[in-house]
Amino acid sequence: MTARPSHKVTVANRGGRELNVAEGENIADACEQAGIAVPIACRYGGCITCAGRLVSGSVRQPKGTALNKRQSQDGYILMCVAQPKQDCVVEVGVETHTSLYRNPFLGPLK
Amino acid sequence: MSKECCGPGYASPKEAMQADREKLLYTVALYVGTGVEKPDYLATVDVDPDSPTYSSVVARTEMPQVGDELHHSGWNACSSCHNDASKTRQYLLMPGVRTSNINVIDTSDATNPKLHKVISGDDIKAKTNLSAPHTVHCLGPDIIISMLGDADGNAPGGFLHINEDFEIVGRWENDITGMNYNYDFWYQPRHNMMVSSEWGAPNTFMPGFDLEDVGAGKYGQSIHFWDFEGKKIVKSIDMGADGMIPLEVRGLHDPESNEGMFAATLSSNVFRWWKTDDGDFEIEKVIDIPTIDVDGFPVPMPSLITDILISMDDKYLYFANWLHGDLRQYDITDRANPKMTGQVWLGGMLGKAPEVNGVTVQGAPQMIQLSLDGKRLYATTSLFSSWDNQFYPGMKDKGAQMFMIDCDTENGGMSINPDFVVDFGNEPNGPSRCHEMRYPGGDVTSDIWL
Repeated sequence: MTARPSHKVTVANRGGRELNVAEGENIADACEQAGIAVPIACRYGGCITCAGRLVSGSVRQPKGTALNKRQSQDGYILMCVAQPKQDCVVEVGVETHTSLYRNPFLGPLK
Repeated sequence: MSKECCGPGYASPKEAMQADREKLLYTVALYVGTGVEKPDYLATVDVDPDSPTYSSVVARTEMPQVGDELHHSGWNACSSCHNDASKTRQYLLMPGVRTSNINVIDTSDATNPKLHKVISGDDIKAKTNLSAPHTVHCLGPDIIISMLGDADGNAPGGFLHINEDFEIVGRWENDITGMNYNYDFWYQPRHNMMVSSEWGAPNTFMPGFDLEDVGAGKYGQSIHFWDFEGKKIVKSIDMGADGMIPLEVRGLHDPESNEGMFAATLSSNVFRWWKTDDGDFEIEKVIDIPTIDVDGFPVPMPSLITDILISMDDKYLYFANWLHGDLRQYDITDRANPKMTGQVWLGGMLGKAPEVNGVTVQGAPQMIQLSLDGKRLYATTSLFSSWDNQFYPGMKDKGAQMFMIDCDTENGGMSINPDFVVDFGNEPNGPSRCHEMRYPGGDVTSDIWL
């Protein structure tokens, strides 16, 4: 038996904690196992509660439907479905949501 | 309260109006989207003016899991079982829209509700391919819950049927043909009718509101009339631009009546609906709230009618304009021609009442609940976590509020009660969002008479 390959995920805004996330595992589960509280709700990529920022690296987000193009371009990912493809640096939590939401009546849509 | 011989609730709407004044009020309180990683909870609020803890939260019942997004709730039994002495109104079902869990709360001790059971969202998805539970109604041994999506959060969802032991029976409807989306529903077996409305797919509304999604047809604009016994839609009406996002559906309380009202939230119109003598269904727009041009806004701002209810005597209609920031009262004695008789301002984006009773209002009037005698209207200010964070971003750090409005039931009129405010910004675990409200003994949006 060989261990599944894993990638290092650094949670920048939780003291730079480093997690080993196995291929196929998502970042939210890895955070919870490490005792890092993250917002979480639907666990299938359909709501936006767990959104956080991908600072560097890349992830797969199978079934992740909750983010629109603007939010993705702004670097947001859904931690409950995000599986690292390589070593990543992320920021988690509601404090990262400053540019996640916008009032649709307050400016031209992109 | 009801006589000892009988089951839950009241023999008639008229009897319900004679009930003792409400002493406790339940509201859901949420931590979703606030940064506090704690479960949502049921807050029990003291609304007895003679009590030393009046106008404060006196109990908090935590859900077992983080992230539910508690939203609406419903009873295991209501006045529809008044003739069944074996039934009691004991359990409040509190669905989590995001987790699809249905938390069943035992309210035998009304001041200290306790968790009884959780129907797991994963089980519901696996057995019925449904998610995102919303409105709960009971009928005899059956409980029906509107579900807004399939297991992956896509439209149109359907209806979940559970039994009185809170076990999943399966899907309630026989045929969902004609339904694009799901949201609220109301039924009246005496007329074999049910009415359901349309929000959008969970995958669309959960992340937040986007006008592009409206343009792409991802929000509802139809209302559906059902053959209640046949469990199938008999007529759907596409209302077009006048009827965008129809949400809360209310029927008149008098079981003889076969009509009611609903609001199209985004279009900000109120419609009247009724069943005709030959069994057809009709609707007509009876109230149209104009949009307002606001400096700096590129598009006119709709009032956004988010909740609507009818007084127990079917005389007054109340609704909340969540963007404009007002609550209104209309005399609907002439059903086709409602007359506005009262209005108050609380928060809102027009800035007409930023501070009320010494508290800065976060959000604006949203969910409302009326006392059985019609004299006190309670209002909370949170809509839905991701939408709150778009329109009223301050709420996530400062919490939502609950207010009480005194209503004149003789001549019409509303005024904000100066002695009542519950600021969920001061909750012990951090600011939370309060949403739908219920009384332990049944209220004007929970009970149906057969």
